[in-house]
Amino acid sequence: MKEKKIAKSELTSFLDSLISEYKVFAPVKRDGFVAFQEIHSGSEALLDYANSKKPPKEIFLPQSEVLFTYRLGGEGLGIEEPSFEDEPMVIFGIRPCDARSLVILDNIFNSQEYKDVYYTNKREKTLVIAIGCNQPSSTCFCASLGGGPFSPEGSDLILIDIDEEYVVQPVTDKGERLVKKHSQFREVKPRGLSSMRKVTQKAEALIKSKVETGEVKKKLDRMFDDPFWDWLHEKCLGCAVCTYLCPTCHCFDIADEATDRGGRRVRIWDTCAFPLFTLEASGVNPRPTNKERMRQRVMHKFKHFVDNYNVAACVGCGRCIKECPVNLDIRAVLNSILNR
Amino acid sequence: MPDTSVMIRDTAKKLLDEKRVDLIIGFERGTLPLRSTPCFIRTSEEIERLIWNATCENNLARYLRGRKEKVGIVAKGCDTRSIISLIKEKQVAREQLFIIGVPCHGMIDRRKIEARFDGKEILEADEITEGLILKGNDFTEIVDKAAFLHNSCNTCSYRNPIIYDILIGDEVEENRGIDEYGEVKEFEAQSADRRWQSFTNEISKCIRCYACRNACPLCYCQECFVDSSQPQWIGKTTNLSDTSIFHIVRAFHTAGRCVDCGACDQACPMGIDIRKLTKKIERDVKELFHYQAGVNLEDVPPLAAFSLDDPQQFIR
Amino acid sequence: MQDEKVDGWEPKIIAFLCNWCSYAGADLAGVGRFQYPPNTRIIRVPCSSRISPLLILKSLQRGADGVLVSGCHPGDCHYLSGNYVARRKFAILNNLLEYLGIEKGRVHFAWVSAAEGKRFAELITEITEEVRALGPAKELVKKPD
Repeated sequence: MKEKKIAKSELTSFLDSLISEYKVFAPVKRDGFVAFQEIHSGSEALLDYANSKKPPKEIFLPQSEVLFTYRLGGEGLGIEEPSFEDEPMVIFGIRPCDARSLVILDNIFNSQEYKDVYYTNKREKTLVIAIGCNQPSSTCFCASLGGGPFSPEGSDLILIDIDEEYVVQPVTDKGERLVKKHSQFREVKPRGLSSMRKVTQKAEALIKSKVETGEVKKKLDRMFDDPFWDWLHEKCLGCAVCTYLCPTCHCFDIADEATDRGGRRVRIWDTCAFPLFTLEASGVNPRPTNKERMRQRVMHKFKHFVDNYNVAACVGCGRCIKECPVNLDIRAVLNSILNR
Repeated sequence: MPDTSVMIRDTAKKLLDEKRVDLIIGFERGTLPLRSTPCFIRTSEEIERLIWNATCENNLARYLRGRKEKVGIVAKGCDTRSIISLIKEKQVAREQLFIIGVPCHGMIDRRKIEARFDGKEILEADEITEGLILKGNDFTEIVDKAAFLHNSCNTCSYRNPIIYDILIGDEVEENRGIDEYGEVKEFEAQSADRRWQSFTNEISKCIRCYACRNACPLCYCQECFVDSSQPQWIGKTTNLSDTSIFHIVRAFHTAGRCVDCGACDQACPMGIDIRKLTKKIERDVKELFHYQAGVNLEDVPPLAAFSLDDPQQFIR
Repeated sequence: MQDEKVDGWEPKIIAFLCNWCSYAGADLAGVGRFQYPPNTRIIRVPCSSRISPLLILKSLQRGADGVLVSGCHPGDCHYLSGNYVARRKFAILNNLLEYLGIEKGRVHFAWVSAAEGKRFAELITEITEEVRALGPAKELVKKPD
C-alpha cells in the first residue's frame, strides 16, 4: 500500500476528527508517567515519549473486569452481563513492540478455537495506529524477537517521524481506508521517503541488545532439570512487577465478590510469580519455591509459547528490565541460557 | 568509594576461605546505569563481583529468612535495623549471620533523576566524590548526589549500622538534627477532606501488584490477608475501597516493625508514596509507646506488649 | 453495596462488644429497661483484643455508618491483658484513620463494664446522634466500579 504523509501541524486536527467518530486512546502524561487513556481532544495526546508505564494490553485486558453481576431478589437469582459498547475505538501512538504484543495476545484470547468475548469485543473494533521509534531505549531488544522499531506487525497504520511530518504506512485495509478518508494525509515526496529510510536505519542501528532467541528455545528444550535454575531465582523478590507491566503476560484470576444479596464475578490480573497461583486445594503446590516459578516464567515465554504458537511471548519492550526492583535483566538471563 | 568495594571483597574472601560463612549476600554491577543488583556468592573466586556505591539501594535483609546456612550479609544502617527486627521475630538467628556493616551516605533515587531529565535516557553514569556524571544522547551533566537521594534516605538518622560483625570503613556523621516527620506534619496540617482526596488520588494509581509487600523484609506471612478467601477481607480488583483498605492494613501490619528502609517505595512501579502511611505510624509508635523498630535487640515490640498507663484519651 | 436513601435515612452502627463486660453491660441495659436507639447491631466477641483493624474497616466498607468497639476497663479484662494490647492497636488505628481523613466520629472505642447498663444506653444514644450528624458514610464504602 502506498505511503502518505501527515504534517505534524495537522495531527491535532486529524485526532480531533477521529475523536468525533471513535473512542480514542492515546498516550498522556499522568502522575509522572505515561499512560494510555481516552482523550477528548487531539491536543491531549503526547507524541514525544519513550513508552507507557503500563502496556496497552490494559485496554483489552483490564486489571479488573466485571464478568457479570448477580442479585438475589424476590423473583430469584438475576444475572446481568455487562453491556458491550458499540463504539469503535482507536489506539493512537502505540509503539511497534506493543502493537506486536496484541497479535501475540490474540493467540490466547482471539483464536480459531476460542474467543474471549470480553477481549474480542474491544479488540475487533479497535484500529491500531503505531508511531515508530526513532530513539529506541537502551533497554529495547525488539529486534531480537522478530520485531523492530518500525515493525508494522499488529498495526493498521504506522507513522514514522521525519521531523516536520510523519510518513504514514498503511498496513491493513482498515488503515488504508482511514488514510483515504482524512484530508490531512497527503502525497509524500521522494525526499520524504529517503528521510524515512535514514531515520529507520539510524534507529535500527541503535538497538544494541541482541539475543539469539531462536537458540534459546533449543537450549530450554533440554534444560528443565538444569542446576541453572537453582541460582537464577535467588535475587528475585517475586514482586510480580515484571508480569504486570509485560505487554504479553496474560494470566488472570477469576474471583467472586459476594454480599448476602448479590455480588459480582470479576477477572483480575494474576501472576505466576506468586505462590498462590498454583496452590491447590489440597495444600500441595507444584511450584513451591521461587526457583520453580522463575523457571516456569522463562520457559513459558521462550519455550512453551513457542511450542504452542510459534512465537515467543516477549516483544523486547524492556519494561521488565527498567522496572525490576533488583535489576534482574531478562537479556542477561537469556544470554546465560545460551551459554549453558 | 572504590576502597569500600575492596574492603568488602577482602572481608568476603576471608570469610569464604575460612569457611565462616556458606554464602555472602552483597551487591554487584547492574546491567543499567545507576543500578546495582543483589548478588549471592559462595566461592572466593567470585568475590571480584562485589561492589559498593550509591546505587546499592536494596534491603538485603529481605533474603535472610528460611535459610539454614551461615550467611555473610552486606548491610547498611537501615538493613541492620531490619535484621534486628527479624531476629526479634525469630525469623533468623543472630548466630547464623556475619553482618558486614557499611556506613551509608544515602542511595540515589533513579526516578528523581529521570524526572530531572524529563524522561531523557541516561546512558552512562559515573560516581565521583562530588556527585554523579550523567551522560545521555546529547548531554553530559554533573549533578549533586545529595539532591537525588531517596526520601527515606533524606530523613534517615541511622546511617551507621547498629549491629555488625565487621564495620567497613569509618562511621559517617549521623543526621540527627533533621525533622524526619516534616512530610507527615505537612499532611496533617491539611483539612480532612483534602487529606482523603490526596490519599485516594495517590492510591488510585495502585495496580495491586503487591511489589510493596514482596519487597518488604518484614512482610512474610504465610498467607497474606489479601489472599484470604475464607473470609475474603478485600476484593482483588483496583476498586478504590478495596485498594485503600489494602494499603491501610498493610501499613498497620508494619506498626512497630517498619524501619523505613524505603524498599516498598522503591519497588512500587507506579511511584505511589507508600511511606506516607508508614511514616505516620512510625511516629505514633515513637510518641505513644516510646519505641523505635530495630534499634536494639532488647526492646519488646510494641504491639506485643503494653503498659498500664498507655494513652487512652480517645477511648470513652 | 449500600442503597442511599436521602429521606428517612437511619444510621447503621456496628458494635463489637466483648462477651464478659460490654456485652453483659448491654444485656443489663435491656434488663433494666434503659432505652436506646435501635440503630446498633451488636456482634459479641470474646475480648476486645479479638478486634483486628480488618473487622472495623470491613464494616465501613460494607456500609456501616459507624463502628463501636467496646471492652472491659483496663485491669478488668477477663483474659487479664487482652484489652491492654487492644488499647495499643486501637490507638494506632484511630490515629491512622483520622490522618487519612476518615471523619472523626465514624469509629468509636469505649470501656463499658458489666455493671454499666445505664451508661451503655447513654453511650449508644450519644454515638447514634454523632453518626447521624455526619450523614451516611461515604469514604470507605465499596461502590461498584
